[in-house]
Amino acid sequence: MIKDEATLNVMVDTISQFVKERLIPIEEQCSENDQIPHEIIDEMRELGLFGLSIPEEYDGLGLTLEEEINVVFELCQASPIFRSVIGTNVGIGALGIVIDGTPEQKKKYLPKLASGEIIGAFALTEPDAGSDAASLRTSALKDGDHYVLNGTKRFITNAPEASVFTVFARTDPSNKGASGVSAFLVDKGTAGLSLGKNEKKMGQWGGHVCDVIFEDCRVPADALIGLKEGVGFKTAMKVLDKSRTHISAVCVGAATRILDEALRYAMDRKQFNKPISDFQLIQAMLADSKAEIFAAKSMVLETARKYDLKKNISTESSCCKLFAAEMVNRVADRAVQILGGSGYIRDYAVERFYRDVRLFRLYEGTSQIQQLIIARNMVKDASRS
Amino acid sequence: MKILVCIKQVPDMESRFRPDAAGTWFVEADLAFRMNEYDEYAVEEAVRLKEKLGGAPELTALSIGPDRVLEPLKKALAMGCDRAVHVKDAEVQNKDPWQIASIIAAYAKDQGFDLIFTGMQSQDRGSAQVGGFTSELLGIPCVTTLVGFAYDNGTIIAKRELEGGARGVVKLKSPALVTCQLGLNTPRYPTLPNIMKAKKKEIVTLAVSDLLKAEHLTKTTSFHPPAKKGGGVILEGEVPDLVNQVLGILKERTAVLR
Repeated sequence: MIKDEATLNVMVDTISQFVKERLIPIEEQCSENDQIPHEIIDEMRELGLFGLSIPEEYDGLGLTLEEEINVVFELCQASPIFRSVIGTNVGIGALGIVIDGTPEQKKKYLPKLASGEIIGAFALTEPDAGSDAASLRTSALKDGDHYVLNGTKRFITNAPEASVFTVFARTDPSNKGASGVSAFLVDKGTAGLSLGKNEKKMGQWGGHVCDVIFEDCRVPADALIGLKEGVGFKTAMKVLDKSRTHISAVCVGAATRILDEALRYAMDRKQFNKPISDFQLIQAMLADSKAEIFAAKSMVLETARKYDLKKNISTESSCCKLFAAEMVNRVADRAVQILGGSGYIRDYAVERFYRDVRLFRLYEGTSQIQQLIIARNMVKDASRS
Repeated sequence: MKILVCIKQVPDMESRFRPDAAGTWFVEADLAFRMNEYDEYAVEEAVRLKEKLGGAPELTALSIGPDRVLEPLKKALAMGCDRAVHVKDAEVQNKDPWQIASIIAAYAKDQGFDLIFTGMQSQDRGSAQVGGFTSELLGIPCVTTLVGFAYDNGTIIAKRELEGGARGVVKLKSPALVTCQLGLNTPRYPTLPNIMKAKKKEIVTLAVSDLLKAEHLTKTTSFHPPAKKGGGVILEGEVPDLVNQVLGILKERTAVLR
C-alpha cells in the first residue's frame, strides 16, 4: 500500500542519489577494511534510514511494507552491508517490540531505534538450534522479580554494535517445544552478557556477526516482551514473516545492481571484434537474469501489499525468500560467467557481490526451511478444507 | 521577509530523448523526472538564508507543470521551504521563456517577495531567460550565474562566474531576483523524516489560465538529435597497398577522379 506516491518517489529519489554519490564510491573500501566509516553511518542516521518501519508515534517513518520495500530496492543497489547496518533496526532487531511489546517497552526503545541512536539485534539462533529454532536451549528462569538467562546465541548480526538484544529463551524447562519459549529485551552492559569474537565471514565484510553469551544474566521481569511467557516463538515467527519479505527485497536490489554491472561489462568488452553483448549465449544469461529479477520483484511487491492489508503472508513471504535468495545467487553466478576471468578478480564489484549474496540462502531461514514452511502450510490449508 | 524559489522539473539527463510526433519536443512517457540541477542550488541557498536569519523568512517554492511537478515541490518542502505553489499546466512544454516568466510574474507581483531565487537555466530547454524576464516584468534588479551569495539587511552581495573562471562581485538592494549556478553550494539530501513532514505543508494549486495573459514571442520549430556522423574507415597494410586502397575509394565513392 502506497499512501502518497509523490512522497514515496521523493524518498526513493533521495536514496538513489545517496547510494550513487555516497555509498557505491566507498563500498570497496568498507569491504577491505571490514568497517563502514562512522561518518557514513551518521549520514544514514541523519537521513532517517534506521526508522523506516517504526511507527510515526515512536518517531519512525511508519512506512507501509510496500513503501519500505521500494526504499530497500534502491538502497540495496549498493553493497548489502549498508542495508545490514540499518537492517536489524528496521527488521528483526525492532520488530519484536513493534509487534508484541508493551507501550512502556515501545516508548523506551523505539524512538532510539528509529533515530539510530541505538542498534537492535535479534538473538534466536544457537549453536545447536539453527533451522530447528524451536529446540533452543538458552534458559530464562524466574527468580523473584527477575529472570536469569543462561546460554549462547550464535551468528548474531550487528551484535558488536548492538545496545539492545531481542533474546529468545526457554522459560518453561519442562516444555521442550515452541510454547516454552519467551522473548526478552536485554540491554548491552547487563552483568552476565558478553560477546564472542567477530566471525570471519565469506562475504559481507563490513557487517559484523558474533556470539552473544549469557552467564547468570539477570534481567528484570518487565524485560519480557509483552509481559507474556510462552509466546516468544510466535513473536519470532511474526517478525520473520515480515522480515523475510524485506530480505527478499534486499535480494532484488542486489540482483539489479549485479545485472547492471554485468550488462555494462558485456556492452564494453569486445571479443571476435564485437561487444560480447551481441552474442546470443551472453544475451541468454542477461535475459534470464532480467526475467528472474522481475519475477522476484513482482512477488515481493504483491506480498507486501497483502501484508499491508493485514492478511497472513506466512506462505507468500517464504515463497519470496526462497525464490529471491536463490535468484540473486543465480544472477551473481551468471554475472561472474559474463565477466569471465575478470569476474573472479577483486577489482570487479561482481566478485564481491558473488560472495556477499551467498548469505541470503542461509540466514533468516535457509532455502530448505522456506520449502518446509511452504509445503507444511499447503498441507495444513488443504486438510482444513 | 518573503522569499520565492522557482523550480522546474526536467527529465533525468541520462535518459534517451526521442522527438515527439510534432517534432518540437521530446516524448515524455517512460522518462524519469528530477528537479532541475540549478534549481536545487536555488532551493539550498534560500533555505540557508532562512536558517541564517533564524527561520524568520517565509519560503515559497513555485513550479509550473502537470501533477508530476508535485515531486520537486515536495522535495523543496522537505529541504526546508515552508509552502508550495503548483501552477497546473499540462502544456508547459509548449510555452516559451517569455510566457513562463509572465506566469511567475503574474503570481509574484502582489505577493511582496523580497527575494526571488531561480536556477541559472533549465537542463532541458536551457534558454537561461526566465530569471531575467521575470525580474524585468516585476521591475526589480537581477543578477545571474551566482557562485556566491550574501545578504544583510536588504543588501545583497552576489559573486558571479564570468568567462574563463574570472569572478565579478555585484551589490544590489532587495527586492531582487538572483539566478544560481553550479559552485554556489552543495544541496542537502532531504531527510526521510523531513520528506514525511513535508506532507503536512501547504501546497496551493493555481490554474495556469488564471495567470497567463502573454502570447509567446518565440516558437520552437524543431527538436531533433544531432545528425549521425558516418563511421570513419581505417585502412591497414603497407604504403603501396594503402595508396591503391585510397585510389579505389576515391574512384568508387567520390567524384574526385572522374
